Amino acid sequence: MPRLLGKYRGLLLPLLLVGGWEYLSRQDAAGAYAFVPLSSIGAALLELLGNGELLVNLAASLARTSSGLALGILFGVALGVWMALSPLANRLIGPLFHSIRQVPMLGWIPLIAMWFGNGEFSKVLIVTLAALYPMVLNTYQGFVHVEQRYREVAQVLVLSRPQQFVHVLLPAALPSIASGALQTLAFAWVTTVGSELFLSSGAGLGNLMMNAEAGSRMEVIMLSVLCIGLCGYLMNLLFTRLSRHLLRWRATR
Amino acid sequence: MPTHRLLNPLTWLISPLALLALWGLVADAGIFPRNLLVPPTQVLHTFEDLVASGELLEHLRNSLSRLGLGFGIGSLCGLAFGILMALSKQVEAYCSPLFHTLRQIPSIALIPMFVLLFGIDETFKIIIVAKTAFFPVALAASEGIKAIPRSYFEVADVYRLRWPTLVREIALPAAVPSIITGFRISLTRAWVVLVATELLAADSGLGQMIEMSRQMLRIDVVMVGVIVTGVIGFALDFSFRQLEQRLFRWQTR
Repeated sequence: MPRLLGKYRGLLLPLLLVGGWEYLSRQDAAGAYAFVPLSSIGAALLELLGNGELLVNLAASLARTSSGLALGILFGVALGVWMALSPLANRLIGPLFHSIRQVPMLGWIPLIAMWFGNGEFSKVLIVTLAALYPMVLNTYQGFVHVEQRYREVAQVLVLSRPQQFVHVLLPAALPSIASGALQTLAFAWVTTVGSELFLSSGAGLGNLMMNAEAGSRMEVIMLSVLCIGLCGYLMNLLFTRLSRHLLRWRATR
Repeated sequence: MPTHRLLNPLTWLISPLALLALWGLVADAGIFPRNLLVPPTQVLHTFEDLVASGELLEHLRNSLSRLGLGFGIGSLCGLAFGILMALSKQVEAYCSPLFHTLRQIPSIALIPMFVLLFGIDETFKIIIVAKTAFFPVALAASEGIKAIPRSYFEVADVYRLRWPTLVREIALPAAVPSIITGFRISLTRAWVVLVATELLAADSGLGQMIEMSRQMLRIDVVMVGVIVTGVIGFALDFSFRQLEQRLFRWQTR
């Protein structure tokens, strides 16, 4: 029995929390308003799954994340490579990039909303920008910190510049690019939800939450939050596994 | 050569100045409506007006006092919790599953839920800032303390150091760098989340100023707000970085 408790003691606090929540929801009307009973969360889950609302919004958010992510990674890697390989480009673009980077992503939302409206384009643009920054930084770091001896080997073998890039620099920089993509993933997901909260038009989990807030439907908000957390966790897990598999040729430190 | 060295830092200014000039030219050429693309000089004038009327400083003071209070509460609780988690196996076994689950949920996604739970008063903003500040600090503290090599304690054993000396001379210097980094990350995140919160629900503060002017189509005020947000974020990050460097000059890493 003590061993059983030992193994599952991590579950004790979450269970207590859920129990406390349920207890508070049964106290009075005000309690039931803020702390919705668990049964109604379950009912809301069935309802949202039944009319497909949850899936539609989730799919819209995921599609937005992945298109923003793809664009951001593409441009980010390109810009990072350019800045790392050409000192002139680094000198000219670097300061501009670093000064623009200081403005938090969510600060751009009001400006972007005024310039481009609150449609799909603005949201994808915001996610793309959010994905761009960490990608550029990590790609740049990866290429700048290639070990000197690798470069020397490339010189000894008299590789041409494209050959150097493909066979020496790129493989050496890939781990850093991959870790950048991992950061980017979490960033893009949060920013997608954030942009949907601000520009609530069309489908999306953020929009679902805003509507639920307007209708003070706590159970729908709870479900969305759970869904957002779970998706973020799964994406993280998936990508970590994937990059470990793809970079398995590399001797781990 | 001396002129070259003198001119070198100036090249960093080329691209920001070029962008500024381009912006001014395009705005003056009148290709876009003047209320959508305001010239930089007007933004500067608006900034001066806002400073002169004290409006900007008022908003700034509100935002910064919220940040200070929320960050103070959140980071100190996070520090205490992180140390507890690192030192006691019991605490860790009980708390870590819940801790790591809650850590996955982005603060922004919690805004609608906290609005329903706590209303849109001051409490809500401080709680959300504190929540944002809590997790990075707690994580950094627990990881930092756990990462102290066992051999350090063995050396302390050999010298028969007493507890206070052990903590002061060995544990603190070994763990503090990562804790300070945790503080820095959580401060910049807290700032972003605070501005986002004010954008969504507030009656004062920098974010509210931006959102208000957005609704009144005052792009110049929005831009002033966005730039001030960026400068403050940068200043907070920069000062913590300076602190890090000053405190850990002795480190060879």
